[in-house]
Amino acid sequence: MEDMGQGLEQAFSAITWVALVEAALVVGAAVLLIFLIQKLVPGLAGKLGGKARLYLLASVPLARLLIIVVTVIVVVPILVEPSFENMVAIFGALGLALGFAFKDYANSLIAGIVTLYEMPYRPGDWIEVEGQYGEVRSIGTRAAEIVTPDDTVVVIPHSTLWNALIANGNDGSDNLMCVAEFHLAPDHDVRRVMALLRDVAFASPYTKTMKPVVVVVANKSWGMTYRLKAYPLEPRDQFRFISDLTARGAEVLAADGLRFASVPVAAIA
Amino acid sequence: MKEENTPESSPSLPGGLIPVDQWKLPEMSVQRTLKDAIRHLTAQLRAGISPEEEPFQSLDNLPSLTDKQIQHIAPHPDFTSLAQAVLESLDELRQSETLRREVAMVVAPPFSGLREALVRLPGLRGGSDAAESWHLIAPPDNLLMNREEARRWWDEQDLTGPWVIPELADFWLRHSSGFSLISELLRRIAAGQVGPGLVGCSSWCWQFWESYLPDAHLSPLTLAPLDGDRLGQWLEFLATSRDERAVTARMTDDGLYVLPVENPSDAEKRKHSGFLRDLATASRGIPGVALAIWQRSLRARPEDDMEEDPGNQKQGTRGRNCWVVPLDQLSLPAMPQSSDRSIGFILHALLLHDGLEAERITLVTGVGEPELELALSRLSRADVVGLGEASGRWHVTPLGYPTVRRHLQSWGYPVDAF
Repeated sequence: MEDMGQGLEQAFSAITWVALVEAALVVGAAVLLIFLIQKLVPGLAGKLGGKARLYLLASVPLARLLIIVVTVIVVVPILVEPSFENMVAIFGALGLALGFAFKDYANSLIAGIVTLYEMPYRPGDWIEVEGQYGEVRSIGTRAAEIVTPDDTVVVIPHSTLWNALIANGNDGSDNLMCVAEFHLAPDHDVRRVMALLRDVAFASPYTKTMKPVVVVVANKSWGMTYRLKAYPLEPRDQFRFISDLTARGAEVLAADGLRFASVPVAAIA
Repeated sequence: MKEENTPESSPSLPGGLIPVDQWKLPEMSVQRTLKDAIRHLTAQLRAGISPEEEPFQSLDNLPSLTDKQIQHIAPHPDFTSLAQAVLESLDELRQSETLRREVAMVVAPPFSGLREALVRLPGLRGGSDAAESWHLIAPPDNLLMNREEARRWWDEQDLTGPWVIPELADFWLRHSSGFSLISELLRRIAAGQVGPGLVGCSSWCWQFWESYLPDAHLSPLTLAPLDGDRLGQWLEFLATSRDERAVTARMTDDGLYVLPVENPSDAEKRKHSGFLRDLATASRGIPGVALAIWQRSLRARPEDDMEEDPGNQKQGTRGRNCWVVPLDQLSLPAMPQSSDRSIGFILHALLLHDGLEAERITLVTGVGEPELELALSRLSRADVVGLGEASGRWHVTPLGYPTVRRHLQSWGYPVDAF
């Protein structure tokens, strides 16, 4: 420990005011560049649609990581002579500080780097983590931000990655399956209802018709539950899409004389 | 571009009919690809920055041709000849056994002229099937019906002899009660329950029905795309179709020749421009789109006497000269930007149905009447859509089609394969 202290003292003894100003300028430029990328790129991506939007959003954290790495490579030789002893001393001290004082923070930072490599979620993905569902708005150094359908921002530390289940609806693509449910009273022609609901999906202007449209049915104690599965034009249309399917489906089923099931209180309980 | 099984084609239908899976987009230069991508990207990013729509405007000072001059140099094709050429091409495909079905399905992108040609089939004389005239099947006024009603309607139609449906898109609406007519017809065709017939179908409509009925393998045919060479021959054919006077067209920027495609035998070797290849790419090889852009790119020089000279006794032998503006200098219609989905819904519906009346747009898109009127007004001012005076139907314009297709694709809509 004493050796490390002497090493650090020796490493930083050669720092001059000029070197400090130079390093500060480099760091300042890097911070400004990251700030601009984080502000401008999502804005530009918002004007684009489809895959271009997703690619542009996903480039933000990668660009930030690249800028940080380049900044470290540039700043360290400005401040200290990059000899083996100096590097051991600096990184040893840094390791101790992180290990004791900023353990959780470092945990999130490392998970953030893993996130960029494994990509369990990217900006533009619709994910559910610990009961919170929303679109990944940004991936920061320590945490990701998602925006829920009710416009609430939820901050999720990257360290959650180690021990939580993460459900990703579109996984980097612009294909996100949506499900509209219909609960009908029993005693009706099941095949006819399935055909009607399939037509409902194809009639919706939100439907991405080149993707599969599927109707599945399950027998419940109160009647039949139909699940109409289809893909919206874009993931961000999902709630309007489900609403449109539900409204159109209800209209078609009612016109055909089909009754919706009202669940008995006992069943809910 | 030379496809396998391509029969000897008529000048009205360069390349003839080909199976759909042989269709290829005309080749594009790397420079043109990059320019188009950058132009499309900047158009999208400009959303909200420039609120005014940009209808067509010329970026040069040369005078445009008058309508009369355009009617001589770049007239609309003779659709009766096209109908004849389609029938001849079908005969050749039948003889070569490329087409074995009783009912031929011809799928074509918008502005290919297929609907206009097939409408003229019943009046056609002198064809190989002259003994039996074609019977035109027109759609019912009410397209919303259930399966039983659709069955009864088709039972009332005479589908025994040679029958023709010029545009299948007229027989449906994207509504949960609007699918029955086409479903029933395609079922009957697949089951061989109808006599010999010919069905024309918009590529957008076909794209939808391929998804709706994935097992309907009807081996559709399509019109061969116009690459640069075919486009040049076709434009030359159109120019000489009225009075046999050849057209010489040169670029305004470098003087390179566009037309005629071949060097005259008595002239020295001419350098030709790459304009036709760029035009073929910009129009996606679609004749109507290429012709619309071609008409807009033609210019006269002030000193040129392009009008007919009644006193000129040699006019039959004299050619016409005109100038062509490079595509980069043409400002084609730009897409008005909007944050909601209405504009995309409307444009997609117009292409799926090959044009629609305003009430039916509301029915298939769910866009309310006031909102629809505002959107149509914006799109109309931008030259992206137009209202057919006779039909009362809104449709995408040929000049606006390339940008509409590109925007719909980037907004996530299913687009046609052409």
